[in-house]
Amino acid sequence: MTDNVSPARPKPVDESCELIANERFTDSLWDMTLRAPKIAREILPGQFVHMKIPGMAGRILRRPFSVYFADPDEGILKILYQVVGKGSAHMTTLMPGRVDALSVMGPMGNPWSLPDGAKRVLFVLGGVGAAPLAMFGEQVLKAGVTLDVCMGAQTKDALAMKGHYEQVLGVEPICATDDGTFGHAGFVTQPAAELLEKNDYDLVCCCGPEPLMRIVAGMAADADVPCEVSMEKRMACGIGACLSCVVDTVDGKKRSCVDGPVFDARKVVW
Amino acid sequence: MANETFEPKLAVNLGGLAMKNPVTDASGTFAAGREYSDFVDVERMGAVTTKGVSVVPWQGNDAPRIAETPSGMLNSIGLQNPGVEVFKQKDLAWLAGKDVPVIVNACGHSVAEYEGIIEALADDERVGAFEVNISCPNVDAGGLTFGTVPEQAAEVVRVCRAKTTKPLIVKLTPNVTDITEIARAVEAEGADAISLINTLLGMAIDVRTRKPILARVVGGLSGPAVKPVALRMVWQVHNAVKVPLLGMGGIATAEDAIEFMLAGATAVAVGTANFVNPHAVEEVIDGIRAYCIAQGVHDVNELIGGLKA
Repeated sequence: MTDNVSPARPKPVDESCELIANERFTDSLWDMTLRAPKIAREILPGQFVHMKIPGMAGRILRRPFSVYFADPDEGILKILYQVVGKGSAHMTTLMPGRVDALSVMGPMGNPWSLPDGAKRVLFVLGGVGAAPLAMFGEQVLKAGVTLDVCMGAQTKDALAMKGHYEQVLGVEPICATDDGTFGHAGFVTQPAAELLEKNDYDLVCCCGPEPLMRIVAGMAADADVPCEVSMEKRMACGIGACLSCVVDTVDGKKRSCVDGPVFDARKVVW
Repeated sequence: MANETFEPKLAVNLGGLAMKNPVTDASGTFAAGREYSDFVDVERMGAVTTKGVSVVPWQGNDAPRIAETPSGMLNSIGLQNPGVEVFKQKDLAWLAGKDVPVIVNACGHSVAEYEGIIEALADDERVGAFEVNISCPNVDAGGLTFGTVPEQAAEVVRVCRAKTTKPLIVKLTPNVTDITEIARAVEAEGADAISLINTLLGMAIDVRTRKPILARVVGGLSGPAVKPVALRMVWQVHNAVKVPLLGMGGIATAEDAIEFMLAGATAVAVGTANFVNPHAVEEVIDGIRAYCIAQGVHDVNELIGGLKA
């Protein structure tokens, strides 16, 4: 169908994965660790995995999850998931050692792209949207690029990825909470706007609720800075065949599973 | 149990289309094979059935386009496709490099559009057969689905038949009172084979927002949930017409496929199962072979309509 597929993208595989850990972060956020050596070796920042959840005979579809950490040496993947429906509620009951191997397809989708010669990058993260950018943050820092991170959530507890950014990336996120329980009181767009005003950026990356991404895309466009967003849509096949997960773009309807999930924000029709 | 080793014959003939085994994919679940080629060797398939293609590009429906439902899913993709010219340049060009027959699923919003899509591909040697999707709305008749009215279904088949000598498969919608009536109507106009079933019309509601989950409110149900209905309809149509049948609806395993063959299908299509298990098509092929060996079936054709009533 479409040909804007990165040539460097690894081929997806269907890997049988062991569940290593499945722990609660906060009330509705959970952290899953899988042993997936093949996928962990290949996955690029921003790509996702497409998982069949065991023990849900009547719910047949796979579920896409972004990966926030991959260790190619240990063959480990980490996934942050939010309990939103029956499928994710069931996931919280899976216990390591008590569940069959999970069928995981991956790596899927396209990665974030760091422009050549970039000196400074801004992340604007909303809620669980902090997860799909964590690996890219590692890549940005490794490339010697300065990284600023604005992280927003409804409450202090929902800033689940803050510790990971601090400990693994060594970055202190500028935080905002809707209820004012931590950091700026209000939306994350406010500290992001201040940073965009103050610094010269080569790229803005945003992941979170669609209204947040729309606003940040507009702010980046006004500042004339390239912006990438990660779009999450209801997905079935995950490999570009079924056309379920389309995103409206200036080039027509594009599949978030293979033409995305990372899109150039200027091309998205919000 | 057979006590000899033998290689069962798996080849079937679907209304003039020679298939090396009875298994293809259900249109719309497999694109044109390329997307699945990291997981499936398409050359092992009896045929590749393409996604629906129309004369001009179709944008498809707004998202959300799918909803998960018990043992199945609803979709309202709206036959998004880039039109026949892009289809020829990309999908057909890719398939031409593969040793596998191609069934092109053809759709239209008017009788003239059906005629146009067949005409555009009738002389293309890369096309092995057509599967005419008569589950599209007829815009000239107020959006009524062609396949729900015997006269309209017959008219579509008549104009398509006049444009091609390639095997013409007609895909029926199950959303009718008597599917055998439609089956007889399309057989009478020269259909070489009939495929069934397309999806069952359904809907799902988010009780928290009190809104429909699909942007288009209603959509087509597929997956294991529809299998008993599909099987019943294949059996009914098998008893009503002489042309061979391509059975589909919830097939996920070889056992499912064999049920369809026993009910009267000459070939079978794996659909929604591809989304769950990207290896499903090959597993069904391998499973049919294993069943034949275990049951002492030397030729898979012995299974067709083999139901002991």
